Amino acid sequence: MIASITGIGWVTSTSMGCGKDFINQKDKFFEMTPGLLPKIKRKNIFDTPDKHFGRMDTFSKTGLAAIAFALHDAGLNEQEMNTTGIVASTVYGCLKTDVDYYHTVLPKNGTMASPGLFAYTLPNCFLGEAAIRFKLKGTSFIINERSSSGMSALRTALENISFGEADKMISGICDIIPPSNFPVNKDTFPGALFFVIEKLPTEKSLHYGRLKIKKDGTLLYNQNKIKNLISLAKECMFHEVVL
Amino acid sequence: MRPVWVTHTHTVTALGDNLNELWKGLLSGQSGIRPVTRFKVENYKANIAACIKDLNDKKNGLMMPALLNRLLTDMQPVPEDSRLITATTKSGIDNLELLCRDHKSDPSKVLPTFIPDYISDKLGLSDKGINISAACASSTIAIARASALIASGEADSVLVCCADLVTEFVLSGFSCLQALSSEACKPFDKNRSGLSLGEGAAAIMLMSEEKAKKIGSPHLGTILGWGVANDATHITAPARDGCGLIQAVNLALSKAQLNKDDIAAISAHGTGTIYNDLMELTAFTTVFGKQKIPVHSIKGAIGHTLGSAGGIEVAVGLKTLFNQIVPPTKRCSDPEDMATGLVSNKAKEISGNYMLTTNSGFGGINAALILGKGNIE
Repeated sequence: MIASITGIGWVTSTSMGCGKDFINQKDKFFEMTPGLLPKIKRKNIFDTPDKHFGRMDTFSKTGLAAIAFALHDAGLNEQEMNTTGIVASTVYGCLKTDVDYYHTVLPKNGTMASPGLFAYTLPNCFLGEAAIRFKLKGTSFIINERSSSGMSALRTALENISFGEADKMISGICDIIPPSNFPVNKDTFPGALFFVIEKLPTEKSLHYGRLKIKKDGTLLYNQNKIKNLISLAKECMFHEVVL
Repeated sequence: MRPVWVTHTHTVTALGDNLNELWKGLLSGQSGIRPVTRFKVENYKANIAACIKDLNDKKNGLMMPALLNRLLTDMQPVPEDSRLITATTKSGIDNLELLCRDHKSDPSKVLPTFIPDYISDKLGLSDKGINISAACASSTIAIARASALIASGEADSVLVCCADLVTEFVLSGFSCLQALSSEACKPFDKNRSGLSLGEGAAAIMLMSEEKAKKIGSPHLGTILGWGVANDATHITAPARDGCGLIQAVNLALSKAQLNKDDIAAISAHGTGTIYNDLMELTAFTTVFGKQKIPVHSIKGAIGHTLGSAGGIEVAVGLKTLFNQIVPPTKRCSDPEDMATGLVSNKAKEISGNYMLTTNSGFGGINAALILGKGNIE
C-alpha cells in the first residue's frame, strides 16, 4: 500500500510551523530537543476568536496547534477533511493535567475540584478539539507508547488507509514535560509533530513523498526505512521533494 | 476479508469475577452499585459506585495490578505470537493519587503502558503490545482495531484486554462535571439523572477462523463489522442529533454487509445521563426507523466502567446472542418516550444471529461493533 505525505506541522522547543515554509530553506531547521515549548496563543493558529482555546491544557494546545499547522500545510478544504481520522502516539499523555486536576481535589476534600481541568484529563481530548475545529469526522484515538518514535501511530494510520477505513489520516506524536517525580524518558522530547497522509492526494497538493508498508511490516519513505517521526519530518523537508 | 472469531472472553466486574456470574447477575436483576467505602465521598454528588470487592494487591496495595491478576487468573492459554492491544482511560490512577498525596509508590505504574507491559509479561507474549485511549470507547476501538488486523491478514490472533478503576480522581471529576446521579443510575428512564461509575476488566481473544480451527479454539462468536466516527461537536457532550453514532453504526453495518433488518438486539452505551441516552435513541431511531429492536444497557447493574465498558459489553453480547435473550435494563421502569417498546427492565427473548453494540465518549468519539452468534457458549 502506498500513500503520500501532504502536510507537516509541529510545535517544538525550537520552532512551530508548517513543512512547506521550511522546505529546503537553508536558514531554517527543524529539531525536537529538550527545552521549554513556546507559549501557544490562539493567534498562532486561528485567525478568528476561539472562546475555548484559552481553557485548554498545555498538552491539548500543543497537539491542536501541530494538527492545525499540518492541515494548513496540506491545504485541505472542509469537505476534503470530512472523513479524515486522527491517531496520535504519546508517552505521558495528559499526566501533567491529571496531577494539576488532582491537586484541586486534595486541599478541600473535593469541594474545589475543577471541572475545567477534569475535562482535559483524557489524552484524546485534543483530538476532539481538532475534530470540532476542522470537522474531522473519522476515527480518533491515542496510542500510548513507551518511546516517542511515533511509529505505532504512523503504522496504524497507514493500515487504516490500507484496510479501506479512511482515505486521509492525520498521524503524529504529542508530549509535554512530565510533572516532577515522574521518570523522564530520555528519548521523549516535549512538543508535537503531525503528518497528513493521503491515499489519493489532490492534484493541487504538493506531496512530500511516498509512504509504503512492506509485507514484512517495514515502513518506508521514498524507499528508505523510517526510524522515527522526527527523522521522517527532516527527510520530508530537507531532501528531495516530489512534486 | 477474513472472518474474525471470538474464541475466549473473560470479565471481572462488581457482579463477579467471571462472565457466568455477571450474566446470571444481569438476568436476575442484581446490581453491584453500592455505597463507596474506599475513599471519602461526602462532598460528591454521588456516594455510590459499582466497586469490585477486596480489590487490593497484597504486595503494594494498588488496585490495577490486583484487577489485572483477577482478569488473567482464568485466562485460557494465549498463543505466544498473539498481538496484544489494551484499552484504558486512566490506567493506574490510584497510584497517581498516592503519589500526589506524597506516599511512596512507583510512578512508572501510573502510565497506561503499565497495562500492556504487565499483561505481556504475565502471559509470556512476544508482543509487548500497545494501549488505546479513546475515552469510554477505548475498548470498542481496540476490538475494532484488532478485528481489522485479523480481517486484513496482518495478524492471526489478537488479545484485547481492558480495565478501569473507580477512584476519588474519577468520581470527583464526574461529580464536578455534574454527570453523576445521586441514586443508582436509570439508563433510558424518563427520570434518569446521571451516571453511576463502575469498575471492571475484560479480555477478548480474537482469532482468524483458520487459526482458531487449527488450534481447536471454540467459536464464541464473530466480530462482523466495526465503525468509528467523531461527531466533531463538543468535548464532553454528545451531538444532539447523534450524527457521530449514526455514522459509526452505518459504517459497521456496511463492513458486516448486513441490512438493518438483520440486527436482533442493541447493546447501547446507556449511561443514564440525560443527553447520552437521548442522543443514542435519536441515532437508533434514525438508523433503524420503526423497527422495534430491543435496546438495553447493563450500566444500571455494573455502573459505567469507562474504557472497559465496550469489552465487557462484547462479552455479554455474545452471551445474549447465544442464549437469545436480552438482559434487563436495571431500573428503567418508565422508559423515555423514544425508548418505549425498545427498552425494558425485564429480560426479553430475541430471535436472530446478529447484534449491535455501541459506545461513545469524551472527545466526540463514537464506536460500533456488529457481533455474530457463535456455536458454543
